[in-house]
Amino acid sequence: MKVPTKIGARMSNESFLSLFMLGVLVVLFGVACVFVPNFYLPQNMLNILTNNWFIVILGIGVTFLLITGNFDMSVGGNIAMTGVLSVYFCQAANVSQNALANGIGLPYAAALVLALVCAMGIGAINAFFIARLKVPSIIITLGTMMLARGVAQIVTRGAQRNTSLPDAFGVLGNTAIRGTSIKIAVLVMIVLVVAAFVFEKLTVAGRRTYLIGANPEAARLSGIKVIRHITLLYLASGLLAGITGILLASEFKAGVSGRAAGYEFDALVIALLGGVSIAGGFGSVLGMFVGAVILSVVTTAATGLLLSPDWQFTLKGIVTFIAILAQRFALDRRKA
Amino acid sequence: VNARTAPERSEAWRAGIKKYYIYVVLALIVVLFSVVKLGQVQMFGRGHFLSPDSLINLLRTAVPILTLSGAFTLLMISGYIDLSVGSAMSLSAVVFALMILNGFAFLPALLLTLVMGLAMGGLNGLLVMKLRITPVIATLVTLNLFKGIALLIVPGGLSAIKSSAAKLMPAWINDYARKGVLLRLPWAFYVAILVIAVLAVVQRKTILGKYAAAIGGNRTAAELSGINAVRMVWVLYVIVGLFAALAGVARASYMSLGDPLSGDGMELDNIIAVLLGGTAFSGGEGSVLKTIIGALIIMCVTTGLMTVIPAFWQVMAKGSVLLLAVVLNHLLVRARAKA
Repeated sequence: MKVPTKIGARMSNESFLSLFMLGVLVVLFGVACVFVPNFYLPQNMLNILTNNWFIVILGIGVTFLLITGNFDMSVGGNIAMTGVLSVYFCQAANVSQNALANGIGLPYAAALVLALVCAMGIGAINAFFIARLKVPSIIITLGTMMLARGVAQIVTRGAQRNTSLPDAFGVLGNTAIRGTSIKIAVLVMIVLVVAAFVFEKLTVAGRRTYLIGANPEAARLSGIKVIRHITLLYLASGLLAGITGILLASEFKAGVSGRAAGYEFDALVIALLGGVSIAGGFGSVLGMFVGAVILSVVTTAATGLLLSPDWQFTLKGIVTFIAILAQRFALDRRKA
Repeated sequence: VNARTAPERSEAWRAGIKKYYIYVVLALIVVLFSVVKLGQVQMFGRGHFLSPDSLINLLRTAVPILTLSGAFTLLMISGYIDLSVGSAMSLSAVVFALMILNGFAFLPALLLTLVMGLAMGGLNGLLVMKLRITPVIATLVTLNLFKGIALLIVPGGLSAIKSSAAKLMPAWINDYARKGVLLRLPWAFYVAILVIAVLAVVQRKTILGKYAAAIGGNRTAAELSGINAVRMVWVLYVIVGLFAALAGVARASYMSLGDPLSGDGMELDNIIAVLLGGTAFSGGEGSVLKTIIGALIIMCVTTGLMTVIPAFWQVMAKGSVLLLAVVLNHLLVRARAKA
């Protein structure tokens, strides 16, 4: 085995993969600039970085859970539920013959807090079954996905709620930073990504996440409270989905029961594109963000090339497989 | 000397519960829905849950899950999972309907669709067993891949492959899964029964079934004792793909069209059926026949609920049934581990 000449000269596999995917991103971007008209315009670049904000916010929770070896497929349903509930809680009570126009009539702030609590409730159900009862996460989170979307459908009777809302409701999702087209939601995304990065690299709890993923038994024996850690991660993932749901509901001034269908898959895809591995203990938030931008470049380029939206599913599938195999190949070459 | 001690007796009780609970659950659900409707319609009359019309309808709509869930059980016994079955079924339905619409005879269209099913299962097996991508991730991605292809095949502006002014879907497409041949039930139902019978025998009496349980129990030990796990599980994936395609053909024939979303949620129905049937989460043990009872429970719940509660409660109901199935399964599996 070759001994590194300088101590610490060799970067970690995670940083290596993030850089590798960054290189892929640059190449993809260059190719897209050549073939897609107007792709290089600053406004388009800004869109590519910011349009996916909801997937990136979800991706934070999904990434940390994947690092511990767990899935969260409930985030899409959770967005729909939280959005619908945030509307329902603050719709005025008894104002109309139409049942969908009547809500509970809570103050706006209380409605948001209550909706977030419900979002974390979904996370708590996930955590109970997965961390305590040791049921495979994919089965439970597919169940809570239906549970959350079911709540959204029942509250909206399978449709949506969008009337008798307080004026403040649309502010959060539609206000842009002065002089730019950047919305508050994008700012929230940036703050959350930075916070997640700090958590991942600089806190003890962040590093424990990796140990749990690499070897749960060793983690438990070395005194880490594995059950509590995974519970907190699921609660956080629920909270992030809740924040996304509230922002989306505010942007459209409506709680729609069909909102965010398939977002759980997109969040998983960007994490995989960023090199996160379900095999445990491997991945990073920055990689996930690079993955999100790659996905955004690919889908924007496909739209620019006039591919019909029906291509999205197929394209995402193929890109993900290529990414997984390329990453494994790159890592194998590195080890050799 | 033959008198049994108290712990032994309680253990026997548990084993008994584990063996028979699923039949009791099915019976209870049937009774429940029969009683709920009692006030409105005559007992066993038309429109009643237990009327011949409604039973035949129930069994006809249950054909896809009956066709598929046996193979799905074998795969889960071996400790693996295929989330792409719903999309594989949709894609098969679309391709089958497209061929029939373009003048293929029934048998060639059926055979070509089944070949495609083998290929889809083969692809899943390749990704999971040869390229060693985690089963959930690999099959989630193929779920979207198959769905995407199905959506691409259906011409823009249409929701499904169906009759148009230019081309008429032949009426005989119904013959397979709708027209009654014996006891008013269609061919597809008897094919499903045959599939179940064959897979039940495969699970209990053949090497494939024994090896699947061995791999699910402990893959390393199974491989050390000479089982080629890669090839065995690959075969199981191919079988699942094959029967997903057959289920798709039944669905297309029943609906007279190829709907690219018709299989959505099939993977969840299958998981619920398998869990209700007492197959362990992590594999190692399970029963094809009990899964079939589980599948019937789901069909009864879905059909029964449709008559008593509004449609927008369905998703919630199914999610709750899944979580209940998990709890039941957990209690029974833990009961065994304690014993």
